[in-house]
Amino acid sequence: MAEVRAEMVANVWKLLVSEGDQVEDGDTLVILESMKMEIPVLAEGAGTVSQLLVSEGQVVQEGDLIAVVG
Amino acid sequence: MTTLDVAPAAVTVAAVDLDRDPRARLSALLGAWRPVAADAPADSGVVAGVGKLGGAEVVAFATDPSRQGGALGVEGCAVITTAYEVALRRDAGIVGIWHSGGARLAEGVASLDGVGRIFAAMTRASGRVPQVSVVLGPAAGGAAYGPALTDVVVLGPAGRVFVTGPDVVRSVTGEDVDMEQLGGPDAHGRRSGVVHLVADTDRAAIAKAGEVVGLLADRRTRVRPTADRPMAELLPHSPRRAYDVRPIVTRLLDEPGIELHPKWAPNIVTSLGRLGGGPIGVLATNPLRLAGCLDATSAEKAARFVRMCDAFGVPLVVLVDVPGYLPGVKQEWDGVVRRGAKLLHAFAEATVPRVTVVTRKAYGGAYIAMNSRSLGATKVFAWPSAEVAVMGPIAAVRILHRKALAAVPEPERAELEIALAAEHEATSGGVGRALDLELVDEVIGADTTRSAVSMALAGYPRRCGSHRNIPL
Repeated sequence: MAEVRAEMVANVWKLLVSEGDQVEDGDTLVILESMKMEIPVLAEGAGTVSQLLVSEGQVVQEGDLIAVVG
Repeated sequence: MTTLDVAPAAVTVAAVDLDRDPRARLSALLGAWRPVAADAPADSGVVAGVGKLGGAEVVAFATDPSRQGGALGVEGCAVITTAYEVALRRDAGIVGIWHSGGARLAEGVASLDGVGRIFAAMTRASGRVPQVSVVLGPAAGGAAYGPALTDVVVLGPAGRVFVTGPDVVRSVTGEDVDMEQLGGPDAHGRRSGVVHLVADTDRAAIAKAGEVVGLLADRRTRVRPTADRPMAELLPHSPRRAYDVRPIVTRLLDEPGIELHPKWAPNIVTSLGRLGGGPIGVLATNPLRLAGCLDATSAEKAARFVRMCDAFGVPLVVLVDVPGYLPGVKQEWDGVVRRGAKLLHAFAEATVPRVTVVTRKAYGGAYIAMNSRSLGATKVFAWPSAEVAVMGPIAAVRILHRKALAAVPEPERAELEIALAAEHEATSGGVGRALDLELVDEVIGADTTRSAVSMALAGYPRRCGSHRNIPL
């Protein structure tokens, strides 16, 4: 199980996957918005998105859990 | 209890794919080699030799894990300091292969003195000959600080680096941790930055060390003008979209380079490789991580890399797409001012040829820090997509025209912002103003980057800084 966490304070701009989706290593899970940039959050390994803990428009803090892939 | 005294008995060695014989390890690096300090007693616990790597002489030593867990006594330490004398005399790079519990307990303070002499020898050699360490087993206490004083540290699969082992940690702090958690690949590759490279096998770790020393010690091959490759296609269409800079670094280099510290402070990429045949160091902000912002850790990582390349005369190419320094209480309290200053210092003192390429944006203090003209850049290029400014245009007009914007009704505000931003960009944004002031020398097509950068570097004489490489 790989936890995907926010590296910095950001707005959740777009969700590109849903719980239950199969993803490959390097697939974009979510796009965050911070420092006026759209920052893709990538899967660091293949697996199933077992949890997606954010919704569009939400603010995440550094270290917040975004998703669990495994 | 001193932290250097780790009992050899506490060291257990995981199975490795290379023989634990230090002689075999030296052979894996050098092939055939001639012993250094051959008159040292057989049980000194250290073997040293000199051989050739890609035509250049390299000195290497290896601790012997089969003798007191590789612990260092007076005689073993003397072998290492002798190896350093040989390396300096022959102007050869030096590789240390570590697998050692630290200072020999039985020899008491004499072994501590020996280990201290190694540290002094390493510091004297710092910045003069490249030093690379390979850690293949536990490296505790003095055996941890030895590698830490060198330019680049490579960790093998069974490599574990710590000042005090799990037993001491447990008895003092109550923390229950094993050797791998304490000082393995994740601990040092991702969290601490103690190691620059992690390898899957002992042989791969030794080979990586050979490649690194080969690049840093190559003082004969210069960058020659070289052919272009398409690069524009590697930028996303939207200027707001973050992307991974590493494919751009790879395409710039003749062959894929060696990325140092790939998982630690990944918002800045530090890679060694070759351009037009000659060794170069590439420093690049990576928009994919932390939006490519500079922060305390990445500035420190970058500063050390710049100083290392400068010391060994390895020219630098700096790829810039940076929105600024990362804001936040954590950053300020982490010392982003103090640690960020290291990068300013590193570039301002560097004498090696160094070319900057602004690919998209270079804003504020981070613009200055990333090898700006003011810090002495040899050449500054900008891609047509570049923007050099104190901050983005919208953010700038919100400050400059705060009153005018506040005076209009809310629904019209966004429109006014855009109009003001366009006006601001025409007068002080983009790259025009920087060109006028000769802060950017030339706008180049992204697809002509390799030829432009290699020509710029080829035109300058070889130079290197006259400073040591303190492990910042």
